Amino acid sequence: MPSSKRQQQKENTRKKIVKAAYQIYSQQGFTATTATIAEESGVSHGTIFVHFPSVNELLIYLIQVFGDTLAVELHALSESNSVKELLIAYLDVLAKHEAFYIRLISERSLLPEDVQMIYANILSTVAFHFNKVIEREIDKQTVKRIPVHMVFNTWIGLLHYYLLNKDFFSPETSLLERYGSELIEVFLELIRR
Amino acid sequence: MSKICISCGMPMNEVSDYPGGDTSNDYCIYCARPDGSMQSFEEKKAGMIQFIIKTQGFDEKAALKLAEGNMKRLPAWKEYFS
Repeated sequence: MPSSKRQQQKENTRKKIVKAAYQIYSQQGFTATTATIAEESGVSHGTIFVHFPSVNELLIYLIQVFGDTLAVELHALSESNSVKELLIAYLDVLAKHEAFYIRLISERSLLPEDVQMIYANILSTVAFHFNKVIEREIDKQTVKRIPVHMVFNTWIGLLHYYLLNKDFFSPETSLLERYGSELIEVFLELIRR
Repeated sequence: MSKICISCGMPMNEVSDYPGGDTSNDYCIYCARPDGSMQSFEEKKAGMIQFIIKTQGFDEKAALKLAEGNMKRLPAWKEYFS
């Protein structure tokens, strides 16, 4: 077999593992076993470790890919857009990864420390872009003069409260589809001057 | 032109993301000193800690841990942790 074809096959196997792992972790949480992931992706258990030497590396990869998607989206917006536009784009990305994100925030303390660091870094990246937009709006006097970390934490507190209690707020449908725009509107109402 | 800053991991897609608009740099405007050179390890770490405290209100020790955890994974600083 030519090496390019072998390379292609290897790449496809890796994609299958990543896709299956993402689905299984979203559905079952991060305590799901690699055996389950192997079964879902249709590869042997050992194959997973050819691509990801440890479970940590698989977790880091998945969380990093999610974080990169979010970072690229927010980066493009935070230069000149309003806080409303930033929040809409932010929730659009989260809505696409809702189940995975809920697992991430609800099971965060159970994850190994180096995996938690990836999550923390994603949160800092969101805070970075948020800060940029909020400071600009405070200067324009469109947002109240509240310490930026409290503006950010108020938003995250509200958002995560709804996500963590999805079973109460929206057990059968996407939480963000149902409440996303209301959360944005109410939050803006609270911070606007 | 699209690169990832070696010092903080920020995607650099616009000329304005590069210090002095010079796209040959591998680090972004937030990691540059006023003269355009790249900040040192200690400068960057202190900056990151202050930024985490300012934007997220975290405890100083927790912020230090996060800053180091982040820097450990970045090409510019990896060697400082080995």
